[in-house]
Amino acid sequence: MSTAAAETLRSHGADPPTRDLVFHVRELARVYGDGTAAVTALAGVDLDLYAGELIVLLGASGSGKSTLLNQLGGLDSPTHGTLLYRGANLAEFDEKALTNFRRDAVGFVFQAYNLIPSLTARENVALITEICRSPMTPEDALSLVDLADRMDHFPAQLSGGEQQRVAIARAIAKRPEVLLCDEPTGALDVRTGITVLEAIERINRDLGTLAVIITHNAILADMADRVFTLSDGRIVNQRVNAKRGLVRSLAW
Amino acid sequence: MSLLDRKLLRDLHALKSQALAVALVMACGLAMMIMTRSLILSLETTRDAYYEAHRFAQVFARLKRAPNSVRAELSAIPGVATVQTGIAIQVTLDVPGLPEPAVGLINSLPERGEIVLNRLYVRSGRLPTGGTSVGQLAVGEAFAEAHGLKPGSTVSAVLNGTKKMFRLSGIVLSPEFVFEAPPNSALPDNKTYGVFWMPYKELATAFQLYGAFNSVSLTLAPGASERNVIAAMNRVLAPYGARGAYGRVDHPSHRRVDDEIRVLQGLSVAFPVVFLSVAAFMTNSVMSRQIALQREQIAMLKACGFSNRQVGAHYFKFSLAIVALGTGVGSAGGVFLGHQLVGMYHLFFRFPELTFLLDSRVLVVATIISALAAFIGVAGAVRRAVRLPPAEAMRPEAPASYRPALVERLGIARWFSASFRMALRNIQRRPVRSGLTCIALSLATAILIVPNSFRDGVAFVIDFQWDIVQRQTVTLSLVEPGPARALSDFRHMPGVVWAEPFRFVPVELRAGPITRRLALQGLPERGTLSRVIDAHPQQLTLPPRGIIMSAKLAEVLQLRPGDEVVARVLEGREREISVPVVGLAEDFAGMAAYMELHALNRLLLEGDLISGAHVVVDKARWSEFLAEVKNTPRLGGCIIKESLRDGFRKTTAESIGLLQKIYMLFATIVAFGIIYNSARISLSERARELATLRVLGFSRGEVGAVLVGELVLLTVAALPLGLLLGSGFAKGILASVNTETVRLPLVLTPANYAFAVLVVAVASAASALFAARKIATINLAVALKALD
Repeated sequence: MSTAAAETLRSHGADPPTRDLVFHVRELARVYGDGTAAVTALAGVDLDLYAGELIVLLGASGSGKSTLLNQLGGLDSPTHGTLLYRGANLAEFDEKALTNFRRDAVGFVFQAYNLIPSLTARENVALITEICRSPMTPEDALSLVDLADRMDHFPAQLSGGEQQRVAIARAIAKRPEVLLCDEPTGALDVRTGITVLEAIERINRDLGTLAVIITHNAILADMADRVFTLSDGRIVNQRVNAKRGLVRSLAW
Repeated sequence: MSLLDRKLLRDLHALKSQALAVALVMACGLAMMIMTRSLILSLETTRDAYYEAHRFAQVFARLKRAPNSVRAELSAIPGVATVQTGIAIQVTLDVPGLPEPAVGLINSLPERGEIVLNRLYVRSGRLPTGGTSVGQLAVGEAFAEAHGLKPGSTVSAVLNGTKKMFRLSGIVLSPEFVFEAPPNSALPDNKTYGVFWMPYKELATAFQLYGAFNSVSLTLAPGASERNVIAAMNRVLAPYGARGAYGRVDHPSHRRVDDEIRVLQGLSVAFPVVFLSVAAFMTNSVMSRQIALQREQIAMLKACGFSNRQVGAHYFKFSLAIVALGTGVGSAGGVFLGHQLVGMYHLFFRFPELTFLLDSRVLVVATIISALAAFIGVAGAVRRAVRLPPAEAMRPEAPASYRPALVERLGIARWFSASFRMALRNIQRRPVRSGLTCIALSLATAILIVPNSFRDGVAFVIDFQWDIVQRQTVTLSLVEPGPARALSDFRHMPGVVWAEPFRFVPVELRAGPITRRLALQGLPERGTLSRVIDAHPQQLTLPPRGIIMSAKLAEVLQLRPGDEVVARVLEGREREISVPVVGLAEDFAGMAAYMELHALNRLLLEGDLISGAHVVVDKARWSEFLAEVKNTPRLGGCIIKESLRDGFRKTTAESIGLLQKIYMLFATIVAFGIIYNSARISLSERARELATLRVLGFSRGEVGAVLVGELVLLTVAALPLGLLLGSGFAKGILASVNTETVRLPLVLTPANYAFAVLVVAVASAASALFAARKIATINLAVALKALD
């Protein structure tokens, strides 16, 4: 680790050896298909992610960002390599263990929101709080994303930004240890995107949730503790921000 | 309520018309199943209770005459519990208001004490007491109803050559005559045949039978062998002109009730199986579509930590909701129709009371069956949905690979419009789904064929039986077989244009262990009135040796032409003769066996006897003829063909007609349900594509043409297959209701096919119209965004 990096970590008030390791990733590979049709989405990724960090993954389309995120979230299993979550090997989890992992530890935010159209905002959040161990109330979760007054609207009655914030509320209502966001602002205009990112930032700060954000937008890199750039399924650059910028202050 | 359940309710609401279509199809199958099974239960329960309460006998025999002392010998047979002897005699009746003579079977009431077996149920009035108040009769309900007779009405009967007037004391029912039909007839003719009871002494005296009996019924002790008792009875009664004892299996009334139950059993399986399979198929297509549309939602649920089991259960609940609706509607419908049909059975079967009993077991079974049908319907789709890793499910489905349709590659496509080409490609792109839709449309066509084949079968029987087989106007029978010269007496009756003799001999036909009792008919070798017709249908010539029998009888006895059959004569001198089967005749009511008249008489060693004649009567002298018949005491029976045909129309034809209408209604609902559902699914699958076309500048009509074109192409492909499939269904279902007493031929008419095609065409047109209207309401922006 570089001196600068160590300096950054210290500036957060914790020593590297004592930091709380959440994900330990080594030589992680994911190949789809086989033979001549095989497509390598991840080609050996090494990575350690710690509690409370805000991570940004940058990269062009097809660079492997989403594949990596899906691996971290237990949505897909690796072809090769080590993927430890708090010391436990996710690759060895069976369907039931993976389900529990996703239920208790991970919150997802997708570019396409993926709300249930037949349920209201509150119900979409409550759907998840019904099945997890110690959730916050749907109302609290929606208040965290500034949607207290839109709780009883159906997705079709909400703007894109509002829908995405419902999705965030849904993801964080379970008080997850990890919040995985795949292009959360990809479908939004700048102003709406800011409100969504602020919500993620606040949750990371206030709840100490490890947040991993995939984006095309290099400007977002400044809001992260660390930034990884992927290309052809590998991490080609890692950057540590000495000081995180606030979303609102980024150079939009 | 959990939120997934709330989602379920809202999704169901959004899909209500499709869910309703599936539920209705299911309901039709269940209603039929519940209706028929409950009718079976009602008939069986009522019959058993009636038999029990009124002590219906188990073994029966007819004889010429035996002194009452023989009764003790019968009682002494090991295994016999109770014996009842009496007199039963067929007489000619003169009923007020009926121009032709009727036939009555008069049974005696015991001289002393109660009736022990075959007790009567008195519907109204009372039983004749005898003693001083002679000249009274109790009458069976069917005959009384047919003539509007009430206690106090009068009828005349010719008793042993003397015409006497009788007053009716009461209207009664007997477990022996639940089905009141003339002997050797599978069809009731309540206008010209009735059953009566009068005191023993009066009846016996009139026929010089006092102190004797000619009819015996008995019950068996528990565990006794019916076979052994029958054998012993035959030995005891042989010197008294017995016609062979028989058990309930050969009892005409009992057998007819049994056959009806058998028909219902066939229908209770065949139709529901078809309907429930269709329902399972529809559930599958609705659910696959629903699950495909919710692919991303399923992925999200899984990403958020819902287990496969929870997601699977959610979609099963979806189909169970449809099942619950279908079961509810189906049960209510089945109970309602069952109530209606029970009333119809009163046309045939006379029970003191026939009430509808719901077969609650079948309710449970039906629910399980339809839940299972839905389960099978939805299992595959759910399995596919939960098997997808969430990361993959989250991505939209890979775009389908299109290629020019076959007709395009053949180079004839330039004749088609762009819309039509698109429709063709769509069909070819998803061959499985197109194939399934095509099968569903074929099923819709097929189930429409069955009910009308019932109707056409009945019409065919009416024509065949009474125009092709029987061409006489009237069948006259003698009280006792008489010499052949009696034929010239028939020919000399007023109005008789032509007469042909016949001989009826009660026999028991035996082939190996299987026996059947029936009247062996002796006819002229190639008569012009009562004819023997084969399946083609050509008239058969009766050969000088050998027997021709109903194809059904041959099937029952497991005989083929060339085999020998043993006939045991049950009349006069008992003897057994072995005759070869030389041909098979086609008939649809009861079973018959025929021999050439002289050949039959030669075998019987009785000389030239006839039992009566089939005659053609000049309509101009009809009343003169009937008056003569009424005044000829030697005549024991007079069957007018037209009244038999009428009776058939009013009973069998009417009941089959009612069933046919119910089935037709159900089949039409199902056909509409299937087609509407197919249109809905293809519309929802393609909302985006159609919206794109609209955005690109296609008119509403042109866009509609793509969808409608596809439906039309699939319908056109499905129709021939459906007609073929329907013919198969009709054949199978008719075979399942093929009994010894009544059968229906497989008649498939162009009109039947045309009707099925018409219904499917109308349903397709209506569904297309609906789809076209829906296209008009597609919000283009929303449709395009929805699947982003």
